[in-house]
Amino acid sequence: MSVVPTVFIIDDDQAVRDAVGLLLRTAGLTVETFSSAALFLESPAVRRPGCLVLDVRMPGMSGLDLQKQLQQQGCRTPIIFMTGHGDVPMAIRAMKAGAFDFIEKPFQGEALLGRVREALQLDTLERRRQVRRAAALERMALLSPREREVLERVATGQYNKVIAAELGISLSTVEIHRKRVMEKLQAGSLSDLIRTLALRDD
Amino acid sequence: MTDSKPVTLPENDGRSSAAAGASWDRSGRAPGSRLESLPSCYLQPIAITLLYGLAGLLWLLVGDPLATAWLAGAAPLAPADLPRSVLVLAASGGLLYGLLRIQAKATRRAMQARDLARDRAARQQAEDRLRQTRDELEARVQNRTAELLAINRALEQQIAARIQMEFALRDSEERFRQLTEHIREVFWIYGLAEERLIYISPAYEEVWGRSIQALHDRTLDWLEAVHPDDRPRLRIAHANKLESGFFNEEYRIIRPDGTVRWVWDRGFPIRDDSRHVYRIAGLAEDITARKLAEDQLRRQQVELAKMARLSLAVELASNMAHELNQPLAAIVAYTQACVALLRQDQTDPRELTGTLEEVAHQAMRAGGIIRHLRDLVRKHPTTQTALDLNALIRSVIDYAQLELRQADTVLNLELTEPLPAVLADDIQIQLVVLYLVRNAIEAMHQTEPGARGLTVRTAPADADTVRVTIRDTGHGLAADAVERLFQPFFSTKPGGMGLSLSVSRSIIESQGGRLWATPNPDRGTAFHFTLPCFVNPAGSSRSP
Repeated sequence: MSVVPTVFIIDDDQAVRDAVGLLLRTAGLTVETFSSAALFLESPAVRRPGCLVLDVRMPGMSGLDLQKQLQQQGCRTPIIFMTGHGDVPMAIRAMKAGAFDFIEKPFQGEALLGRVREALQLDTLERRRQVRRAAALERMALLSPREREVLERVATGQYNKVIAAELGISLSTVEIHRKRVMEKLQAGSLSDLIRTLALRDD
Repeated sequence: MTDSKPVTLPENDGRSSAAAGASWDRSGRAPGSRLESLPSCYLQPIAITLLYGLAGLLWLLVGDPLATAWLAGAAPLAPADLPRSVLVLAASGGLLYGLLRIQAKATRRAMQARDLARDRAARQQAEDRLRQTRDELEARVQNRTAELLAINRALEQQIAARIQMEFALRDSEERFRQLTEHIREVFWIYGLAEERLIYISPAYEEVWGRSIQALHDRTLDWLEAVHPDDRPRLRIAHANKLESGFFNEEYRIIRPDGTVRWVWDRGFPIRDDSRHVYRIAGLAEDITARKLAEDQLRRQQVELAKMARLSLAVELASNMAHELNQPLAAIVAYTQACVALLRQDQTDPRELTGTLEEVAHQAMRAGGIIRHLRDLVRKHPTTQTALDLNALIRSVIDYAQLELRQADTVLNLELTEPLPAVLADDIQIQLVVLYLVRNAIEAMHQTEPGARGLTVRTAPADADTVRVTIRDTGHGLAADAVERLFQPFFSTKPGGMGLSLSVSRSIIESQGGRLWATPNPDRGTAFHFTLPCFVNPAGSSRSP
């Protein structure tokens, strides 16, 4: 997996692709261009970090179609749509479907650059969060059923005494379980524990 | 010696008989029949006569050895033997004669009996013929009587018919008079020999506002009433009318009160028995109302065409705006990239040459799009070119992809390849196809999503037209709606303007085609339009 986040420009118009690519490269970004949604979908770029600058109206598979396809594949790369003059309804639909933003052609280079940078940042954060979540899930898998029951109750703020009564076990057993949960989840404090749980539930 | 011949040849007229022995005896009396067997009938009597002669000679020889010897040249005949030889000869001759007489009598009797029978038969035949003749005569008399009766009846009928006809004629004349004097059309008859109008119906005064008397006084009075602009044309037509007998003109007349009326005037030749045109009959009709309606219709069509152009312009403008944004976006991005590069001190300005050329190129592209749009919106005659309808349909479908998908419509293209090129205006036909596709999509709005199917089919309709069919599986149309569909502002859809179909029809018709709708046998509606094939000036049609 390439570490450098990349801007993937997808537009059927060669000039737009070329010009926007040049603009973003000039700003020091890594850019790759695709002439159709289908070509992008078939390439390994789908899994790579970065963001999409996507033309909403294209022959064959449109930008909106690609957005739907990517969502179905669980790909959460942010998408900035480029729209034309009469494409406002399409832009609205794209936003409702979870697009990062849309930008109307012709656009100021700075405006696009700003949104692209934000999108890349979001993607980086998102991917980092994904990594953490994966780790959290991995650790959670180590817990025994009883430890998981104890964890659920600790997370909701119940006292050990109450937990012991509810589960019908002794207070010391609850404390042992709790200690083991903290170890397995590598949590130094209660707030660490809560955060790990939040990652799982995300 | 002659006396040595015992018999003479009997007279023989050549009769023959089936009975060989007796044939020669009765041959003399035989009735004239069967002449054709003449040669063979001679043979038998001759043979029999010879036989008899031979027998006589034998008899002589046997009966008279001396004579025999003499005949043989052995010895001369002694005078003393002569009487005996004569006696023998006479006796044999007498015997022969007697035999012949008996035979002849028997033959005569037999022939008499036969003649009697033949006469009886002949009489019977004659009687039969007589009876037949009489019968025929009787039948003929009967027939004749019947004929006479029939003729009589026919005559009676003819008389009745003639009486009726006279009544009818009087009636028809009356009706003709009523017709010509009461219809609003002006009926006229022109006599070629007379060189004037023989008859003109009273409606003339009503339509022309002029008196018939004036017309009869001056034959060309009607021409003076004609609008000056139409007069030269009418004069020529009138001259032609006198030549050919035919006349068919629409012209304006100015009534004495100054009002203008449109007249449709037609004339037909009337020929005499020798096929010679001697009269011209005609009908002049006041078509002012129709003309006004036509003018109004034409104005409406012009309006509709304007509207078509306008909606075309709107449709294209939104399309073009999108088109235009492409090069503009590229130009902005290129120039801003250049600016950014120039700000970075290490950039060599020469490296930007290619990018700047690209900027110029994109600006030209934008200019081209604007020029195209302006050309389309400007009032100019449609530019008809050889079109590949299949390619056109594919590009429209591409354009409508999104709408099709949004509507969950399954598209089915049945494009005949190769398809003859058609002669039409590219943009306008694209618009029609787009309208029809949209119309189909909207018609299926209330159809359950699984059953929304749109079929676009192309096929040659005949040798010189191509037909496009756009079929939906929508709610279909009521029978009365099918024709009203194409009227402006008629819509079966809530919120529909009802213009696209009337605009489409006027576009198709202006390109020499036809647009119509038919209900599908199962569900939905099919819209069809035809366009004329492109004919290469070289003579053969081609596909672009």
